Parts: sequence; structure tokens; C-alpha cells
Amino acid sequence: MKETPDKKVLQVINQIHELARVEGFLETLSEQWGFSARISMILNLVLEEALTNTILYGYDDSLEHTITLNFELEGDILSISIFDDGHEYDPTQKEDPDITLAAEDRQIGGLGIFLIKKNMDSVEYLRIENKNCLILKKNIKS
Amino acid sequence: MNVKVEASKEYTLVSVEGRIDTTNANEFEKSVMEVIESGCSKLILDCSGLNYISSSGLRVFLIVQKKMMAIKGHFLLTNLQPGIKEIFDISGFSSIFAIFPDQQSALANH
Repeated sequence: MKETPDKKVLQVINQIHELARVEGFLETLSEQWGFSARISMILNLVLEEALTNTILYGYDDSLEHTITLNFELEGDILSISIFDDGHEYDPTQKEDPDITLAAEDRQIGGLGIFLIKKNMDSVEYLRIENKNCLILKKNIKS
Repeated sequence: MNVKVEASKEYTLVSVEGRIDTTNANEFEKSVMEVIESGCSKLILDCSGLNYISSSGLRVFLIVQKKMMAIKGHFLLTNLQPGIKEIFDISGFSSIFAIFPDQQSALANH
């Protein structure tokens, strides 16, 4: 994707330390595109969850891979498309955790994808040319 | 992230500042577990300086809660910022933790 004032691209490799770079990128983008502190935090959260899953569980080898994030703002609607060349995985199919259970019965973990779904207006998955593509949309004025 | 521990006779106050995320959740878990293993059965976690948490951090909160319940102790959270409370609400965590507006009200109830 070509960068314009309404389109930004970030590429990271499959290492957890890259999350710090994502945080920095979002900080700059939030200033440029006028996100509130709340929206900025939500975006940081969903990207951390999505990237952590891909980086930790998405690859069948130990090679370096590039993950591409495209950010696009149309009016108040922000779209983030995340492309990775890991094995096919559709996070939208993951079952939601039962959040009504008592602490004793709650399972440790399994909240990441649920937090993405709950915090975004829409989450769509596509498999394109041997790549996973996760498209996240959010009204930034919501 | 910064974690500060102040132990008194009645309870231990742990204050966490900054972010709890994938990169440091283990470190946070270790700090809090050390407090519990030192024999603390009433732990107040002051979250006034906590401005970001992801599922990795929530995971540690749940582990600590389970641990405290197992030893019949109390794990009390205070001063959650609105953004953090929102994440707790979404995750169903607001109903499984004892959350108080401040330290005084936490102590008054336990």
C-alpha cells in the first residue's frame, strides 16, 4: 500500500520486542490522526493481542518473517489490515471464553482474541495468496 | 512498569505503575508471587498508576486471585483508571475481583 496522509504502513518482524515499535508508531499516528487517549489505548491493545498470537504461535519454522500492518482512515472509520505469512489461522473462529464463570472456574488465558473482537466494530479474516489477513475496523469517535 | 511493595503488619500494599503487557507480565507475576510466598494473606494492589493492560497482564491477575483464594487470603484492587476498568468489564473480571475506589474503602470492607 502506498502511504498518503490517510494511509500508513508499518512492518515488523516476528519478535515480541517489536511490540515496543508498534506502541511508538501508534503514539505518532494518534497525534497525526487525532485519536483520543482511550482509542489509542484500545488500538495498542488489539494490535498487541493480534501480533502476540501471530509471533508466538503463527509460524512453523524459526525463521524471520515480516508482518505488514496497513492503516487507513476514511472519515471516522479506521481500518487496520494485518498480513502475515504464517500458517493458515482464522482467529474469528475461536470460541469466546465464558466470562460469567466464577474465578475458580475461569481458565487462565484465552482472552486475547476476545478482547480484539469486543473492542473493534468489526473483525474480518481472509486468506489471500498464502497469507493471513485480519481486517480490524473501528469508529474512532465511538 | 514499576512495582513498589510496602508491607505492614495487617496487609501488603503493592503499587504498580505503567504498563503490564506481553513483554513484562512475567516480571509482574514474579514480583507479586514473591509477596504472596512471603506469607502475605491480604494484598492490596494500588492500580492508580496502571495505564495499560493486555491479556498477558489479565492472566497474571487471575493467577494471583486463584492463588489468594486457595490460601483463603484477600486480593483487593484499588484506584483502577477508567480505561483499565473498561477492560476488566469486557473480560468479566469486574465480577471476580474485589475492586474498591481507594485503599480506605478496601480496608474498611476487609
